[in-house]
Amino acid sequence: MVSLVDEMPDTLEQHPSKPVEREVRPVPPPSETSPMIDIADVDFSYGSHQVLFDVTLPVPPRAVTAFIGPSGCGKTTLLRCINRMNDLVENARMTRGAIRLDGFDINSPEVDVVDLRRRVGMVFQKSNPFPKSIYENISYGLRIAGVAKRARIDEAVEKSLRAAALWDEVKDRLDANAFGLSGGQQQRLCIARALAVEPEVILMDEPCSALDPIATAKVEELIYQLKTAYTIVIVTHNMQQAGRCSDHTAFFYLGKLIEFGSTGLIFSNPRQRQTEDYITGRFG
Amino acid sequence: MIAPRHILGTFDEALASLRNNVLTMAGLTERTFDRAIKGLLERNDDLCANAIADDEEIDQLEKLVDKEGVDLLLRFQPVASDLRRVVAAMKLSPNIERVGDQATTVARRARKLNRHPALAETELIEPLYALAMSMFKDAIDAYVKEDVPLAMAIIPRDQELDEMNATVQRQLIERMAQDPDQLRGYLNLIFIARSMERVGDHATNIAEDAVYAAAAEDIRHLPMAEAD
Repeated sequence: MVSLVDEMPDTLEQHPSKPVEREVRPVPPPSETSPMIDIADVDFSYGSHQVLFDVTLPVPPRAVTAFIGPSGCGKTTLLRCINRMNDLVENARMTRGAIRLDGFDINSPEVDVVDLRRRVGMVFQKSNPFPKSIYENISYGLRIAGVAKRARIDEAVEKSLRAAALWDEVKDRLDANAFGLSGGQQQRLCIARALAVEPEVILMDEPCSALDPIATAKVEELIYQLKTAYTIVIVTHNMQQAGRCSDHTAFFYLGKLIEFGSTGLIFSNPRQRQTEDYITGRFG
Repeated sequence: MIAPRHILGTFDEALASLRNNVLTMAGLTERTFDRAIKGLLERNDDLCANAIADDEEIDQLEKLVDKEGVDLLLRFQPVASDLRRVVAAMKLSPNIERVGDQATTVARRARKLNRHPALAETELIEPLYALAMSMFKDAIDAYVKEDVPLAMAIIPRDQELDEMNATVQRQLIERMAQDPDQLRGYLNLIFIARSMERVGDHATNIAEDAVYAAAAEDIRHLPMAEAD
């Protein structure tokens, strides 16, 4: 069996406190790369209440895409469509369109939802560690995936915690209860937990909204480092955060995708009046 | 199209204050230059002294625009057109201040000229001033009205001003050769003409910032064909 951690890129192993040599990559426009997640013509309804209208959005691979928009615009609903979290909500369903992950329709009958959620990890607004030790939080996903060898799990736990920039802070207390960690550490633990099962995509639903500025900066730095290996989609209400840590930004309003483009363009010269009014704080 | 107000009223107030200070600066600079040039043409030392004294107020306004711009960036983290307006205001205020400095230069040299008999060639300065000041006013107008075509039209006028200045300089140099007793006077007029040429350069810079604020286009250092 292939090690679950072998594939992790070495760049993630760097000590978080050391200055990281940053490769400055020009951000290609979203249309110039084949999308990792291809959202096409999606309508979505909760019962008879339609909340997404004809959303088409190619999410580029190995980059951070931010979903922004006022509350109720459908950005979280769309995010939860990507790993079918909405399957758990009664009467909630995609009524039209398709979402393809690396070419595969995620809603086709042969898709194993558990496997889909392994490939598409998720980090929530409020950190939600299991009421277990730090070690068990990370190893849990590996165990249910059938990994039994202790050495291999140890290796994966360390690699995931390093990748989430948490290893140095917790390496001496891996058996301590995860609830003893600070809010920011708990959120990074949740990211480490998602990384342990080697996802291809990480969905983040306002991951810093409950964190203080220092913890927020650490998570944002982590997002920056992770994007070299993962496709990240982040929902945020913090416009500055979207500007700082995303490569592409999608603005939603009343269930419709109003504008999608490189973050630099969206925040310097948006093409749509509604986008301009929203990001400049003129939305009445 | 008038942008709707920000949800945060203090943001609108801060942007309005920044813009008003830029406009006050521009208005003062225009008045200062007017006094300096009248001081030259009417041989009026009082007007020259007023022009020199006005410069201090323009300098202080430049510092105020900078301070308000930094405060705005710090407090409101503007983006998109708001960011461009703040950046443009902070970039064009030094250009206005330098136009004010040129007015001071003109006033100082005019005072020197006024100590000696009038030179007929002083009238060569008037058309230069008219063109330079019209460029400056239009550049400020383009910034205020976010009028891209008006701003773009200023750029070729700078070349016209450069050519006019070159012609005036040639004429003055010829006169210097013919009438070496008035050498100092002609030299002062050459420097005054050069100040007008500089005003055109600053007006061009302001016009470029106005285009950036209005249309997010950086038109600096483009070949003329592209700028057209």
